[in-house]
Amino acid sequence: MKLPIAWLRDYLDVTLSSDEIAARFAALGFPVDDIVRRPVLSGVRVGRLARVEKHPDADRLLVCTVDVAGPKALTIATAATNVAEGQVVPVALLGAQLVGLTIGPRKMRGIDSEGMLCSAAELGLEAEWFEDGILQLEDELEIGADFTRMFRLGDDVLDVEVTANRVDAMSVLGLARELAASLGARVREPETHRDSNAERPLGPALVRLESPDCTRFVAQRVSGVTVRPSPFWMRVRLALAGQRPINNLVDISNFVMFEGAQPLHFYDFEHVAGGALVVRDAREGESIRTLDDAERKLDSRFLVIADEREPQCIAGLKGAAPTEVSPATHELLVEAATFSGPRVRRMSVALGLRTEASSRHEKGLPLGLSTWGAARAAYLLERAGASPDAPFVAGADDAPPAPIRVAVASFAQLLGMTIDANEAAGALRALGFSVEVAAGGDALETVPPFWRGDVKIREDVVEEVARVVGYDRIESALPPVLETRVSSDDYRNESRIAQALATRGYREAVTFSLQPAALQRRYERAGVALPGPVVGILNPLSEDQRYLRFSLLPALLELAAKYARDDAYRVFEIGHVFEGDPEPFETPGVAWLLALPQSAEPAWRDSGFLTFKGESLAFVRALAGRDAEVVSTAQPGWHPGKSAALLVDGRDVAVIGAVDPRLLAAFEIDVRVYAGWMRMADLPAYRAPRYKPASKYPTVARDLALIVAPEIPALDIEHAVRAGGDGAIADVRVFDEYRGPQIEAGKKSIAVRVILQRDDATLTDAEADGHVAAILAALHERCGARIRDS
Amino acid sequence: MFSDLTDQLDALGARLREALASAGDHAALEGVRVRFLGRSGEITQVRRAIGTLSPAERPAAGKAINDAVAQFEAELESRSHELDARALEGELALAIDVTFPGIAPATGSLHPIRRAMEDACRYFERHGFAVVLGPEIETEYYNFDALNIPPDHPAREGLDSFYLRPGLLLRTHTSPMQVRTMQAHPPPIAIVVPGKCYRRDAIDARHSPMFHQIEGLLVAPGIHLGHLKGVLEGLFREVFGPKQAVRFRPSFFPFVEPGAEVDTTCPGCGGEGCKTCGGSGWIEIGGSGMVHPDVLRESGYDPAGVTGWAFGVGIERIAMVRQDIDDIRVLFENDPRVLEQLA
Repeated sequence: MKLPIAWLRDYLDVTLSSDEIAARFAALGFPVDDIVRRPVLSGVRVGRLARVEKHPDADRLLVCTVDVAGPKALTIATAATNVAEGQVVPVALLGAQLVGLTIGPRKMRGIDSEGMLCSAAELGLEAEWFEDGILQLEDELEIGADFTRMFRLGDDVLDVEVTANRVDAMSVLGLARELAASLGARVREPETHRDSNAERPLGPALVRLESPDCTRFVAQRVSGVTVRPSPFWMRVRLALAGQRPINNLVDISNFVMFEGAQPLHFYDFEHVAGGALVVRDAREGESIRTLDDAERKLDSRFLVIADEREPQCIAGLKGAAPTEVSPATHELLVEAATFSGPRVRRMSVALGLRTEASSRHEKGLPLGLSTWGAARAAYLLERAGASPDAPFVAGADDAPPAPIRVAVASFAQLLGMTIDANEAAGALRALGFSVEVAAGGDALETVPPFWRGDVKIREDVVEEVARVVGYDRIESALPPVLETRVSSDDYRNESRIAQALATRGYREAVTFSLQPAALQRRYERAGVALPGPVVGILNPLSEDQRYLRFSLLPALLELAAKYARDDAYRVFEIGHVFEGDPEPFETPGVAWLLALPQSAEPAWRDSGFLTFKGESLAFVRALAGRDAEVVSTAQPGWHPGKSAALLVDGRDVAVIGAVDPRLLAAFEIDVRVYAGWMRMADLPAYRAPRYKPASKYPTVARDLALIVAPEIPALDIEHAVRAGGDGAIADVRVFDEYRGPQIEAGKKSIAVRVILQRDDATLTDAEADGHVAAILAALHERCGARIRDS
Repeated sequence: MFSDLTDQLDALGARLREALASAGDHAALEGVRVRFLGRSGEITQVRRAIGTLSPAERPAAGKAINDAVAQFEAELESRSHELDARALEGELALAIDVTFPGIAPATGSLHPIRRAMEDACRYFERHGFAVVLGPEIETEYYNFDALNIPPDHPAREGLDSFYLRPGLLLRTHTSPMQVRTMQAHPPPIAIVVPGKCYRRDAIDARHSPMFHQIEGLLVAPGIHLGHLKGVLEGLFREVFGPKQAVRFRPSFFPFVEPGAEVDTTCPGCGGEGCKTCGGSGWIEIGGSGMVHPDVLRESGYDPAGVTGWAFGVGIERIAMVRQDIDDIRVLFENDPRVLEQLA
């Protein structure tokens, strides 16, 4: 909210700089987003045009004799067309500093001009919001007075952030009260109309409430109004607050809202059919032509204020053309109402329309503000020459709320600092609360002022006191360390996974869970099944973020397409994936990916797979504390002949393998890519491996070159070796494979290294030979393997 | 004749010395040893000659041979040491270009967001907090209603959300885990919740529709805002450095009362004022406050028996400030060159 310091000073004498004021507001909970610096202005006086004559030598110039209460009148030539004798205007003297210019003596077609009459732009005001030409001031202003000081045109404007609970502070007066409390000062409350003839019988009912969403409606008839421009002091305040001045009536309605937060609406009473209003739900088929010249269709969602014919206002949002204030208006009906915030908010969303009024109504205005708003408008209208009637009130009473009892101990209990009863009472009173200190001084009874609808419970009061006392007084302390029964396992697993992959050369990525349709399209185009129904966002911000990711793989593939080049590229991500329709659910998991440059290899070999498998097994081993078993598998997204499931204790833990080549094509990747995926839920608990003494005796290594049928997997060979090894196998590893012309057709050659060892004695050569013979027999029996002839 | 023997030994000695001098390595030296002193070496020839001597001469001859052998062995030994010394000298004289690039292992890394998250969590684990994770798909009940944010509450506006269907949305903050955890466990509660959150913000240098937060919640008898200040000071010292201070400013969040905006000393300038902090010396880093009695009641806790605080701090903010990242999008591009730099 724009807060002109010039306006603030109507209620509070403040000599602080703009920055100091901003710091005060921030400490009170109203951060200042921006300080709009006003231009430096000087040497401008209030002057009266004593005489206006045509320039003898120039048709388009006028020569004015200007009284600025100086020793002699000034002669000023002007090209402005809106000047006339007797006008009171701002006059820049010689040497005056205006926006973008300094006034010096000037000859205008032979006449020495001793200054300049000022328009809005030269004074740093929005030119389109004021009269073309010279600004017109009121007759009663003191001639010769310093114009800039009189209207505080040099005071900056603060852009203050107001939290949603403080609708009262969406106003100059509300913020002045805050600043006053911080300074230990009091605001000058603006004057309001007091009905001098309270005995007068109330006229007929001016308003009837038919909806619970209007809790209170103060209606005030004001007769004898004349539409004309507002006085300059009001126009300049509105303009600095960012509101365009229109005419005295519209301006008063806006002024009261900016001043005290209560939005008002003025109806031209002569056009209110039936002479009374009703607040009701709109009827199906009704429509309204609002002041912004839009024809709006209404339905029962809308709360309207209607006369006996048709809606004249959408509650809290916008008025209608028929009862709009016009130059012909003589009699007003002032609305100061309290509507349901949520209802106004829903209407605002439905219409796509947000106004200064609705932004206040939707936060829920305190009832008491309606009384104040009507009385304040009545006062200003009376000052403008009109005659207000007594206010007519429909709806809830604005009686003060019940007192809130706060034990003095509450301050220490919630804030950790000691505040005694007197200090707390002082802070609250500074904010306009009434306070009674209980006998003994251990508790306060306090009633918030009528504008503070947000203070309801003890904690609210504690915050008010803390704000005034200053949050800086809260002292650091460390809480006791508590034993918690809540488990950190999920987090710890995530951390361990991240660490284990990073250790193995994988870089962690964080990609968006929100994805475009393009990703699932790629799967569809590739002919690769999606894991399940993709979850969409009902109200996406853009097509790029229309769906929730169904897998971590697509984003990693995109990264591979972008970054995998001549070197190995390793990346992983931990995150949730989403599926399900209609009931969406999420699965936390981890995906890791290895991309390698292409290499020429026979069809039956994929060394990249072996690298990836080795890394993946080491990763699982680090997590589980035991080795995973590898079995061939087929999963959508992976190459059916080059993927495997990793099992720990017979349970699926992860799937690894070469990415389906159709996906690689769809993602325009031309390197080899391997990927793994593990659901967090499948992660086996780490089990600390048991100790087994390492043998003290030397090992004997024997390499066997075998010829077997190509379909015999390496794992079977290893199993056969162990089976034949009679417990003497320390390790067995298939380490080479060959197919080709050097061996018989339709076979493959497998090299396997067998490490033999005894736990209790040194293995002799003869024993080793015996084991090898047994191993070869087992290999032959189980795998049909025989020794390759050298 | 004995004198023949000494002549022979002298001659042998002379040849041996010659051979030693030309033996350039240990293999050659071994050859020399075998040739002269080996089982069938020249010395054996000389020994055989003892048989031709008179018994009276034999002891002296034997001694002379043995002395000569000892002498020869010493010379061999000495030559061997000489060769060792020369080899060592040669070895030590070698020099390589140590500035030649090393052969790097495959290097992995944790994402800067995870590093920031883990640094934060480590602090809290040291102070007895459990670290819990939660769902990203959340119900309106946990995301809003249970947190004292009823429908059409203006505070929902700042938490503009992505809906999956009516009533179900992507969580806009980690705060839903407050009520979820309290409903599942009796007090005392000391948890932090790191995780992803989503808000309907267009992406730019400072905003992202997906971001990470860490939520903290401590509920027990006697807990007050001073404890929050102390803990947050500790947190920021852990993630930014030892001189961090914390400043509270009053603010409004419906699920806390009193509420406070949290600032910490700008780590960029140590509070002097710089571009990062807009000259103020402080950076805004999160929201906090005393858990609202309505939230405690909704969680099944008795506000008369326990008090507590909660806070939420942006993890990207921590990572960005301490690693000089001026655009949040950098964190989601995952350019390996940048990840390497930031690791």
